[in-house]
Amino acid sequence: MYETSDIRNGLKVEVDGKPWTITYFQFVKPGKGCAFTRTKMKNLINGSTLERTFKTGEKLAPAAVEEHKMQYLYEDGEFFHFMNTEDYEQVGISVEAVGDTKHFLVEEMEVQVLFYKGNPVNIDLPNFVELQITYCEPGVRGNTAQGATKPAEMSTGLTVNVPLFIENEEWLKIDTRTGEYVERVRK
Amino acid sequence: MSPEGLRARSLVLRAVRSWFDRHGYLEVPTPVLVPSPALEENLFAVQAADGWLRTSPEFALKKVLAAGLPRIYEVAPCFREREAGPWHGREFLMLEWYRAGAELDDLMDDVEALVAAAREALGRPAPPAWRRTTVSALFREVLGLELSTASTEALAPGESSWDHAFFRRWVEDIEPTLTDAVIVSDWPASQAALARVRTDHAWPVACRFEAYIDGVELANAFLELTDPVEQRRRFEEANRARRAAGEEAHPVDEALIEAVGRMPRTAGIAMGLDRLVAVAAGWSGIHAGRVPMTPPLPS
Repeated sequence: MYETSDIRNGLKVEVDGKPWTITYFQFVKPGKGCAFTRTKMKNLINGSTLERTFKTGEKLAPAAVEEHKMQYLYEDGEFFHFMNTEDYEQVGISVEAVGDTKHFLVEEMEVQVLFYKGNPVNIDLPNFVELQITYCEPGVRGNTAQGATKPAEMSTGLTVNVPLFIENEEWLKIDTRTGEYVERVRK
Repeated sequence: MSPEGLRARSLVLRAVRSWFDRHGYLEVPTPVLVPSPALEENLFAVQAADGWLRTSPEFALKKVLAAGLPRIYEVAPCFREREAGPWHGREFLMLEWYRAGAELDDLMDDVEALVAAAREALGRPAPPAWRRTTVSALFREVLGLELSTASTEALAPGESSWDHAFFRRWVEDIEPTLTDAVIVSDWPASQAALARVRTDHAWPVACRFEAYIDGVELANAFLELTDPVEQRRRFEEANRARRAAGEEAHPVDEALIEAVGRMPRTAGIAMGLDRLVAVAAGWSGIHAGRVPMTPPLPS
C-alpha cells in the first residue's frame, strides 16, 4: 500500500475499483488542522478524470498494472498500435485512453505499454521526446531578448513555445510531462 | 532559488521591518531551541539536543508580553516536521506580532497594510478590497450547511472526529473558493488553540481569524487567552489527543502558563513570511525566495 507521502505524478493507484494515474498533487495543511494531499488523477482505461483528497494516514492501493516496453507502429482512427520487439506481438490502445498523449507519439518510438489485469490499457511516455517542427516563423538571429518566444507546430500536431532563433523544420527535445521546449537537437 | 527571488524576499523583509518600526513595535529575537514545543494535536516539532526547535515563537513572545513590552514582533526561523510542498518547508520564516489592548479588527487592518507594503516594495499594486466573512457563513454559501448544528456524519461520513470532518470539507470545498483576499473569523471552539472562546453566538466560537490570499493561508490571529487554568486544560487535552493518535505527549511549559495569567489583554498574529513574499511577488509557491538546504539530509 502507498502512503500519502508516496504520491507523485505518474503513480498508478486503484480507487473505486479502477486504475488511475496521478496527474496533479498538492500537500495542504490548514494551520490548526490535519494534513491532506489534494490530487487529480486520470483513468487509465477511458481517460476520464477524478479529483480526490487524501488525509495523511490514509492508504492508497497500487493499481495492478504491469509495464512492457513496446514500439509505436501506427494509428487507425480507433486504436494506437504497438509491437513487442522481442516476440512481435501487437496490441491496440483506444484513442480515448491515449488522449492528448498522442501529441508526443512518433512512429518507431519506444514507450511503456500498461497492462491492467492482463489487458493493454494505456501507455507511459519517456520524459523526453524528439519532435520535428512543421511550421514556425523564420528564425531571428542575434535576438537575445530574455524570455521572448514564438509558437511552433510540431509534426504530431503539438504546439510549443520556442525561442526566437529556432528555424522551421528543426528537431527539438520536448519534456512530455510539461509539453515544454527543452533544447535543439541536431539530426 | 533565484537571484530575483532572493532580492524580492530581502525587499519585503526590509518593508516589513520598516512598517513595524513606524508603528512603534520592538523587534524581539527569542530562542530557537526550546524545552517545550507547541502543544497542538497536528503540529510536529523537530527534536534537537535535549529539547526541540520551535514551531513558532508564540510561547516566548507571550513571556515578553508578561514582562511588560506591549508591542512586539519577531521574524522567527521556525521548524515543522512532516510539512513539505510548494507552500511548505520544514524550516520557514514566521512573522509574529502582538499588540496589547488591541482587538482582532485592529490586526485585520495590520494584515491589509502589511500586504500592501510588501506589494509596494516589489512595485506591485495592493490587492483589491479585502472581504471579511466567517467560517459558518462560508459553509452556508458554499455547501448550504449549518455548521453550528452539523454532525460529523453530515460533514464527512466516516471521519474519526468532528474536527477531521470539518477539515475535509474545508480542504475539499471551502478553501478552493478563497481565491481573492479574504479574512475568515469565528472558528470552531475546538480549534481555538491559544485563543479566547466567545459564547454569545449561536455556537461557541474561537476569537480567531485566518487571512487568505489567492487560496493561500497567509496568517492566523488570536484574541489571546489570558486564563491560565483554561490554558492548562487545553494543553492537557491536546496531549490526550496526541497520545490517542499515537504521538508523544509534550511537557507543559509551566513558565508560559504563568505568563498567560500575567499578560495583558492582547491580540496576536502569526504570518508565514515566505508566503507573504510569494503572494506579494505572484509566485506559485515559496521556494523561489529561499536558499535550499543542499545537499538534502539522508532520509
